[in-house]
Amino acid sequence: MKTKIKIFISILSSIIVLVLGVAIGSVYVEPLKILTIIFGKILSQPISADLNENLISIIWDIRLPRVLAAFLVGGALAASGTVMQSILKNPLASSYTLGVSSGASVGVGLVLITGFSIPVLGNFTLPLIGLLSGLVTVYLVITITAQIDRNMGNTTIILFGMIFSLFINAVTTLIMALSRETLPRLIYWQMGSFALKSWLDVKILAVIFVGCYLILIRYTNELDIMTFGEEQALAIGVEVKKVKWILLILSAALTGSAVAFTGVIGFIDLIAPHVVRKIFGSSHKLVVPISILFGGTFMVACDLVARILVSNSELPVGAVTALIGAPFFAYVYFKNRKVR
Amino acid sequence: MIEVKNVSAGYSGIDVIENISLKLEVGLNLSIVGPNGCGKSTLLKAIAGIIPIKGDVLIDGKSIKTMKRAEIAKKIAVMSQMSAIYFSYTVFETVLLGRYVAMKDNFLKEASQQDKAYVEKCLEAVGMLEYKDRQIDCLSGGELQRVFLARTLAQEPEIILLDEPTNHLDLKCQHELILYLKNWSKDHKHSVIGVFHDINHAMELADHLLVLEKGHIKALGKAEEIIKSGLLNDVYEMDIKKYMLNSLKKWEFVN
Repeated sequence: MKTKIKIFISILSSIIVLVLGVAIGSVYVEPLKILTIIFGKILSQPISADLNENLISIIWDIRLPRVLAAFLVGGALAASGTVMQSILKNPLASSYTLGVSSGASVGVGLVLITGFSIPVLGNFTLPLIGLLSGLVTVYLVITITAQIDRNMGNTTIILFGMIFSLFINAVTTLIMALSRETLPRLIYWQMGSFALKSWLDVKILAVIFVGCYLILIRYTNELDIMTFGEEQALAIGVEVKKVKWILLILSAALTGSAVAFTGVIGFIDLIAPHVVRKIFGSSHKLVVPISILFGGTFMVACDLVARILVSNSELPVGAVTALIGAPFFAYVYFKNRKVR
Repeated sequence: MIEVKNVSAGYSGIDVIENISLKLEVGLNLSIVGPNGCGKSTLLKAIAGIIPIKGDVLIDGKSIKTMKRAEIAKKIAVMSQMSAIYFSYTVFETVLLGRYVAMKDNFLKEASQQDKAYVEKCLEAVGMLEYKDRQIDCLSGGELQRVFLARTLAQEPEIILLDEPTNHLDLKCQHELILYLKNWSKDHKHSVIGVFHDINHAMELADHLLVLEKGHIKALGKAEEIIKSGLLNDVYEMDIKKYMLNSLKKWEFVN
């Protein structure tokens, strides 16, 4: 199948899933009515009298921001996973490997225990501290790795990241054990959820992610070259160390923001790039944007399942991503392999 | 001209090569030989500035320590020993990566029609044009080696450094590769520095040999003189001429 047709099918599938994500819930809303509400709101036009205020509020204030937040976060995790796998030349690498979620968990745990709040930011203190702690963790991992290994070798980064991540996880466990009253909130946050996401959340996430994507798109050639190894990348003319720093920080910012706003949601960063490479090839000019599209769409689908699978209850979306993702990933990855 | 001045380099703080100095005029080829672990590949990496060095390497009088990677890549290209392929690209995409520095100057970092045409020219030169849409993980070792050579050529360098380029190639391909590189450097504007295990290949490519032993230069000069001196026998701890003649005897039954 031609690449253009594959891209068209991907975009169309993504739009269908997004619409379904908004349409399905406790009340089913027909796609045409959704479009009427969205265009009415965007164009500040009066919305048809057939649609009552409650329905408009469900779509515009609750479901749409939730679906968009899920799409943005899924896309960010997928982009981050793509970068990590390519620069570390490890198909199992992700920002989680380098301790982003562990760092963010410590930060969030401390905020919850101390009740610390930045006056101007209020409720956004938690995501901001989560993001900053995730970034600081990756910064420390890279800086210390650079001290141990001047060339910042991939194996050293991954090994040190994992050691550091385990250490920080132990700190989080200690925080949780010593402060039992905040335990449920911390556990709930760690499970990941898109409930109660507002337009402000969506706007902040969109600004951060679009900014990161614009930088990332400039480095797709370098990402391609670095998959062949650092020595070859240097020989071809890539400033490997500098590019690696930029991409690692960018990747940490993407995951850190996602984790900070929604909690720990794994698996998408691992599967999205693999599935996309399988269908579209390895060139990052396609892999990066299509992974973002796939990750976002997949997250919206998982969130939809998390919302509707059990009536009057919501499942942790992180569990759903893995429950759906693992068999789907296995199917896509192994379907063409012959039994040996 | 490329000048290596008192270069020492290695890994994890241990020098594999020590105080290596040599000069090579552009237009001349040099083959590096020596037993396993003597530092041949390390010397190539040091010349290309891929690993940190003590001492200096000057390209046309300019230290590589002061040059950006892109600047070095315009002068020197390295065809490394084959490594594992983690993500598969098409042959064309792989060779196009050699145009990185050329594409970098373009705002969108996109390949121009000239870049694409040049890639096709390089693929044609190594006999891989008809494979351009194949995935590289479906190629044989020899085909892959030729793709990497095409990518090296796509950089349009003045000097090519080769690390055991004949690995994975059948006899015909080995001969063709060396012949191609010899022709490539014939215009006196290009040079090839190659690391070889096979002395015949080393001599086929270059008139000059650099013999390394335990990280030091054992000999540097005209290939014929070095071979006549019998020095290679000491370095490899065997009678090379006897070995070659014995090999040749096995062919005597052929008309």
